Amino acid sequence: MLKRHGHETVLAGLVVIALLVMSFQSAQFLTTGNMLNQGRLMAEVALVALAMTFVIVSGGIDLSVGSTMGLCAILTGVLWQNMGLPLGVVLAIIPIIGLICGLFNGFLIIRVGMPPLIATLGTLALYRGLAEGISQARSVRGYPEWFAGIGQGSILGLPTQIWILGVALVLAGVILGLTRWGRTVQAIGYSEPAAHFAGLPVNATKYAVYAVSGLAASLAAILFVSRVSTTRSDMGTGLELDVITAVVLGGTSIFGGRGTIIGTALGLVLVQVLKNGLSLAGVRGDGTLVLIGVVLVLTLVAGAFMENRVRR
Amino acid sequence: MTIAQTPPPAGGPALSVRDISKSFGPVKALKTANLDLRAGEVHALMGENGAGKSTLVKILAGMHAPSGGAILVDGVQTALPSPRRAAEAGIAVVHQELLLFGELTVAENVFAGHYPRKGGMVDWAFMRRRAQELLADLDCHDLDVDRKLGSLSVAMRQRVEIARALNHNARVLILDEPTAALGERDADRLLEIVLRLRARGVAILYVSHRMNEIFRISDRMSVLRDGTYIATRNARETTEAELISLMVGRPVDQMFPKTEVPIGGPVLEVRGLSCGPMVKDASFTLHKGEILGIAGLVGSGRTELAHVLFGVTPAASGTIHLNGREIRIASPRAARDAGIAYVPEDRGAQGLVKPLPIRENISMAVLDRISPGGMINRAKEAALAKRGFDMLGVRASGPEQIAGQLSGGNQQKVVIAKWLQTNPSVLILDEPTRGIDVGAKAEIHRLICELAGQGLAILMISSELPEVLAMSDRVMVIAEGRIRATLSRDEATPEAVGHAMTARRSAS
Repeated sequence: MLKRHGHETVLAGLVVIALLVMSFQSAQFLTTGNMLNQGRLMAEVALVALAMTFVIVSGGIDLSVGSTMGLCAILTGVLWQNMGLPLGVVLAIIPIIGLICGLFNGFLIIRVGMPPLIATLGTLALYRGLAEGISQARSVRGYPEWFAGIGQGSILGLPTQIWILGVALVLAGVILGLTRWGRTVQAIGYSEPAAHFAGLPVNATKYAVYAVSGLAASLAAILFVSRVSTTRSDMGTGLELDVITAVVLGGTSIFGGRGTIIGTALGLVLVQVLKNGLSLAGVRGDGTLVLIGVVLVLTLVAGAFMENRVRR
Repeated sequence: MTIAQTPPPAGGPALSVRDISKSFGPVKALKTANLDLRAGEVHALMGENGAGKSTLVKILAGMHAPSGGAILVDGVQTALPSPRRAAEAGIAVVHQELLLFGELTVAENVFAGHYPRKGGMVDWAFMRRRAQELLADLDCHDLDVDRKLGSLSVAMRQRVEIARALNHNARVLILDEPTAALGERDADRLLEIVLRLRARGVAILYVSHRMNEIFRISDRMSVLRDGTYIATRNARETTEAELISLMVGRPVDQMFPKTEVPIGGPVLEVRGLSCGPMVKDASFTLHKGEILGIAGLVGSGRTELAHVLFGVTPAASGTIHLNGREIRIASPRAARDAGIAYVPEDRGAQGLVKPLPIRENISMAVLDRISPGGMINRAKEAALAKRGFDMLGVRASGPEQIAGQLSGGNQQKVVIAKWLQTNPSVLILDEPTRGIDVGAKAEIHRLICELAGQGLAILMISSELPEVLAMSDRVMVIAEGRIRATLSRDEATPEAVGHAMTARRSAS
């Protein structure tokens, strides 16, 4: 257990410690209301981080997720308000836009052969540029009541986001841990040539991984627009850093191969607990950032220390 | 050309290795290595792939820390915790893969890490002059020391590396397979340089597989086998046959347990297959139960032919019939589905996903079959892995052990087990015993014969001529991307194969 999941164990311990410390710091922290609200706030990052886990496990990276989210958010507003499409139709189109953004990343990486870091650094600029060009610095407001319900409403007393996250979490965990496709992603991340020489569908799998990442970013855009009831072109700026922080904190190897959904979930929770708890305790934002950086480095060192890992 | 054999000057050992051992995880790369290296001698270090030569060299270079034992330099026990300390102790190593900076100049490479200073600044004039002197000593009077290293030939780069070693006043020079990448003339010049350094009193440890070379320049030879020191012999008192039997640990003819198998009808018929400059108009037929050996020099197009047949680089033209049906092989996946299996040359990078357990490696090529609806059936996978594991006699703690922790021979068994799960009709083996220790090698050979006995059609590529000759029913010789000759088992003598390998196009 410790040997194969040392990192997750360290992380779970840290989450517990952080929860305890924060609840002593502030009476508001460990209340149902605050916890549920935090779940709502972290939904966009979490959704994208689950998809990013697959990208990083496959040995890649997707820096364009924030820009994809921004582009999808803007298109939601523009298609509905400026083009006059029914909002229901728009909500069906946006995920397709996300998929296309992801597939284009895949095209650059697989067909053109660009390193994922460079390809998605390029599309980070490209998609953001498109978003800004389309929006012309206007913001869109006045979404109907039912749409706001997605991001602000509750089902059976729990925020909508909690339900969505729960389903996504289980789905991602099952796919990565138990399916042929998850195994293929992992094998590619550890050794792409070996996966190829074993007859695994390397390129199709990599396309799918980036497509899912784009899709997750578009769904995050819908959640976000609905939650804040407005659309601006700078939405999602810097999202990629929060997402990658959570995934790497969760123990996914940036070199590919190793990674679990549980780890990513713990990473997300730890970051959110620190952010929320520290702000309630009156610590300034920059102090929080420093602490998150320290935790990230220490967790990775401790996790690597506990796991007697086989180097590739 | 003859090179004079001068007797080595007498003296105590410049370098002694006493019972050095080295483990990587559970794998013992070296058990007890011993060596005495005298000033002014060329001492050959011999052993099969996997015998521990490279590990010993890396320990002496300060790249690996030994797990036990002692190293004595001029009789004084010395620790070599880093390459820098090894250099300070007077030990210089020219590695198989040259460790030089392609973007820096020749002079900068000679002084890499030890730039001469004058008043706090790098003394470029001295550096260039000294580099020139050192290289002139090595028979390179005309080399411009301002050229970028990357623009030089392998032979020249090697001399720069030797110059760097001498610049540190190395008293012990270790050359790890220095002629492996050189042509004949460059190799000859290198041997002359080695003898010249010997005359100056440098102690030279020479790692090589080439027997004739070793006998031309060595004063003594030491043999390692399975990480253990076996013996040291004087060059004048031994023979090639004795050295080989010391290396393999038994008389050579027992190495290959070839069994006669009835050969059936054609399974794989290849006609006019071409792909790029390395596979040109290949035509041959492979039969049921047959082992067809492919011999050829490195770079002759052997592996490229295998890659075309396995769909890694699909054919540009030509036809392939498998069991009478014409097939197109556009990818390894298509090859697998058609019934072709390929055990690749580079086991570590292509054959296995090393950080994954044996179980996941064995099931990798048949994941489709054991995942109804996309969910992997764990029970089926475990059963299948256990079967493959037992059938091939993989020595490990169990199917859950990480594949990368296994020895070379056991890793190879895992790769073969993976492909047997696909029930192939053609098995392509590319260097099946490279880097595998002697005992496991015989096991792999026995396994190959058994598989042929079960009716598998086997295509076996190997750089080891004795292996090809002993194992094959027929031998196909490839040179410059073309099949030059196909010899029956009786016709395939070392001379005939060697002749076909090197014959000019007009001669074939």
